Amino acid sequence: MKLGAAELKREREERRRGFFLALPSFAYMVLFFALPLVIVLIYSFATRTSTGSTALSDWNFDAYRKLGEPIVRNVVVRSVVLAVITTVICLVVAYPFAWFCAHQRPTVRNVLLIAVMIPFWTNFLVRNYAWRILLSKGGPISTFTEAIGLGEVDILFTKTAVVIGLVYAYLPFMILPLYASIDRLDQRLVEAGRDLYGSGPQTFRRIILPLTMPGVIAGSILVFVPSMGAYVTPELLGGGKETMLGSYIVTQFLTARNWPVGASLSFVLMAVMLVSTVVYFRSGGRNL
Amino acid sequence: MNEITESQDQRSAAVSLRGISKLFDDVTAVDSVDLDIGDSEFFALLGPSGCGKTTTLRMIAGLEIPSAGSLQIFGEEVGSLPPNKRPVNTVFQNYALFPHMSVADNVAFGLKMRKIPKSEISTRVHEAISLVRMTGMEDRRPNQLSGGQQQRVALARALVNRPKVLLLDEPLAALDLKLRQEMQFELKQLQREVGITFVFVTHDQEEALALSDRIGVMNDGRLLQVGTPEEMYDAPIDRFVADFIGRSNFLNGTLESAEVVCLANGQRIRVPQVDAVSVGDEVQVSLRPERVMIGDLDSAPHDSAQLSGTVETETFLGNSVVYRVALDWMTIEVEADHRPDVERYHAGDRVDLWWRDDAVAVVRP
Repeated sequence: MKLGAAELKREREERRRGFFLALPSFAYMVLFFALPLVIVLIYSFATRTSTGSTALSDWNFDAYRKLGEPIVRNVVVRSVVLAVITTVICLVVAYPFAWFCAHQRPTVRNVLLIAVMIPFWTNFLVRNYAWRILLSKGGPISTFTEAIGLGEVDILFTKTAVVIGLVYAYLPFMILPLYASIDRLDQRLVEAGRDLYGSGPQTFRRIILPLTMPGVIAGSILVFVPSMGAYVTPELLGGGKETMLGSYIVTQFLTARNWPVGASLSFVLMAVMLVSTVVYFRSGGRNL
Repeated sequence: MNEITESQDQRSAAVSLRGISKLFDDVTAVDSVDLDIGDSEFFALLGPSGCGKTTTLRMIAGLEIPSAGSLQIFGEEVGSLPPNKRPVNTVFQNYALFPHMSVADNVAFGLKMRKIPKSEISTRVHEAISLVRMTGMEDRRPNQLSGGQQQRVALARALVNRPKVLLLDEPLAALDLKLRQEMQFELKQLQREVGITFVFVTHDQEEALALSDRIGVMNDGRLLQVGTPEEMYDAPIDRFVADFIGRSNFLNGTLESAEVVCLANGQRIRVPQVDAVSVGDEVQVSLRPERVMIGDLDSAPHDSAQLSGTVETETFLGNSVVYRVALDWMTIEVEADHRPDVERYHAGDRVDLWWRDDAVAVVRP
């Protein structure tokens, strides 16, 4: 009995120590993440006054009703389409690269993976301006295509430019989880598939793809979610013409001064992302 | 070898390797192996890890392409064909069952890939599953099965395709001892039932002796000797083979004539005739511990080879006693039965050792 009491006491102490160690990060998250989120939620039910300020009274759902209007719907559709295109391109580009990486000697593999992360050493904004120069009329790409007789390329401030920028920005987020799951794939299962009369493509579809699906799902979420809410890239490379959700929300807060609508849209976006991520992970997790 | 018999050999061989080599970055994993494995034969490739046995198996499966040589399956050159184009199937080490598929889907995989009609698939899958006594487990996932059950599913998954040759890579290594012995028996029975060629790779000499019709022993990429289990045990031609299959004492000497070896102590003994070494060669005489008789000094029969020495240590093993007997030029291990009618010796006793002339084998050192 005495021993049991000592054991309980020890466990309690250890739990308390763990709590104190986690306290700083816990406080940080509450203060700078949870609390602002609550404020956003509160503002989404507030009223916009005729002068453009926000009155924290007359709580209502007007802001949420406004989200059904065609102008918002267009922005949502455009964002989803661009994010889906970005995700698919990232997936198609990243998969072979991740496969290649996972099948190299450890040194080569490390060099390749570091290379994937090198772009992060330069500021995101700077890299977007760099793309602006690359894609502009008379820029390096256009000069090159003209030189080889393909004519001028003028894609800056188009959907294409936005997608190029988004793929560039989020490709590493696709490569790394894919690499992790391909690396974990038991090579003997691939050999078993080939041994059991599977051709290369058949083995990929029936064995390799299903078994690396966790990486595909994780990578897709990591690319899709930030693409949906992207602000800098559509602004700089889309020239503000291709308004995506991020830009629209910023406009609501800063230009239109309609905080409740900006807040409600932010909140809905976050909630939809959260729910779909959870659903996605759940369904993916069950296949393994 | 006579050319006509050679071509006949090739025609009847299920698997035929001629000068097969495999290099990995200048490291020779398999070194010019010649081997014929007969139709419906249970053949074991035996050797320590890294000896090239698995690489040889993988070349037959098509998972590795030989660097040199010719590889035929029932007379058809397959050396460079991908695995899905070869009439062989493999039971992988640790089984490599597809974790995202049920037992039935695992077994059906090969048939689906070959676009066999659905109705035929379901009957054949059913047959294969009942062949390995897994009926009722069709909907389980591999991770819900025990090691022995996974082993059976792996067998069914390969056999359902009716391969001409079944390849098994250390099929029993992952099982515990009791289960392994059970599965050995089942595997042997299964091979008789389906009547196809089994080629299996193992590092376990007992398993090879118990299961196979013939054994090929490999070391350092080379195939040292091929023969029936009895031949391999009774008449090894290489020291490595004699040492790897069972235990043995090795007495240094020189082959003086076809049937006489002069031992290092100057004593001459009669030995069975061998082809692998020629007269004048330095050889070793392999003497199995259990084939040496032990008795009081001067008790050895006069017509057999004999040595005298002193018992150095004795190790009691239950059914037998192992003595280490020191001669003036080497130490010999002797295994004597432990029975009431067998004399028991102790450290310090002076003893005679003797053996029948045909109890030894002359091996390459």
